[in-house]
Amino acid sequence: MLVLRRRAGEALLIGDEIEIELLAVSAHSAKIGIRAPKDTVVLRKELKVTQEQNVRAAQGPVPAEMARALEKLRLRTQEPAPHPDKPIEN
Amino acid sequence: MPSVNTKYFGTVDYCQESVFDFPFGLPAFEHETSFVLLESPEHAPLVFLQSLAEASLCFLAFPILVVDRAYQLGISKDDLAALDLETTHQPVLGTEVLVLALLSVHDGSSPTANLMAPVVINLRTRRALQAIRGDRLYSHVHPVAAPEGPC
Repeated sequence: MLVLRRRAGEALLIGDEIEIELLAVSAHSAKIGIRAPKDTVVLRKELKVTQEQNVRAAQGPVPAEMARALEKLRLRTQEPAPHPDKPIEN
Repeated sequence: MPSVNTKYFGTVDYCQESVFDFPFGLPAFEHETSFVLLESPEHAPLVFLQSLAEASLCFLAFPILVVDRAYQLGISKDDLAALDLETTHQPVLGTEVLVLALLSVHDGSSPTANLMAPVVINLRTRRALQAIRGDRLYSHVHPVAAPEGPC
């Protein structure tokens, strides 16, 4: 990974069309401005990770896999949590 | 009583109190804005988040404390506001909000839970969203069962 040190107000370029500007820094976060072509997708990484994980979660399991997985989970979850969330009664 | 076609249980009757409104959908499923929470005693504490519009879309989930009994909420102010919750403090699990970790199981591997982006439901309004944490305190693939040992 390329590591650069920048101060607030300074910018950097990625290729010819993408500009990243460091707008402000504080103890816990940095405010970043991005100039990029409209067709460039800019996403917070954790959103992309969540999208991919949701697609995986929605794919399965098939019932047979679920039965196996539940069996494993049952072994793990026999001890109830001290203050479990109360799901709404169906 | 209305009924819904489900992925795992055929056609199931449900009550309106079990329906949750996801105004923004879930990431990658932005158009799915209405889910019903199904439980079956046989599978407890597993719950099923079934899309009302799409029978083939059903997430498996655990109440988050089942996965990690010490789990600390880290819902952003934006997400708290979108859920009509106080933004000055984290809500109380179980009374103000129901928090679910979505499960992934594939290819016979051990199931994992997404603790980085739990589904948070405001129990008063039944409004819900997937609250993505910006910190790196929790994994999106947290193992929820020990791998099977050699036989």
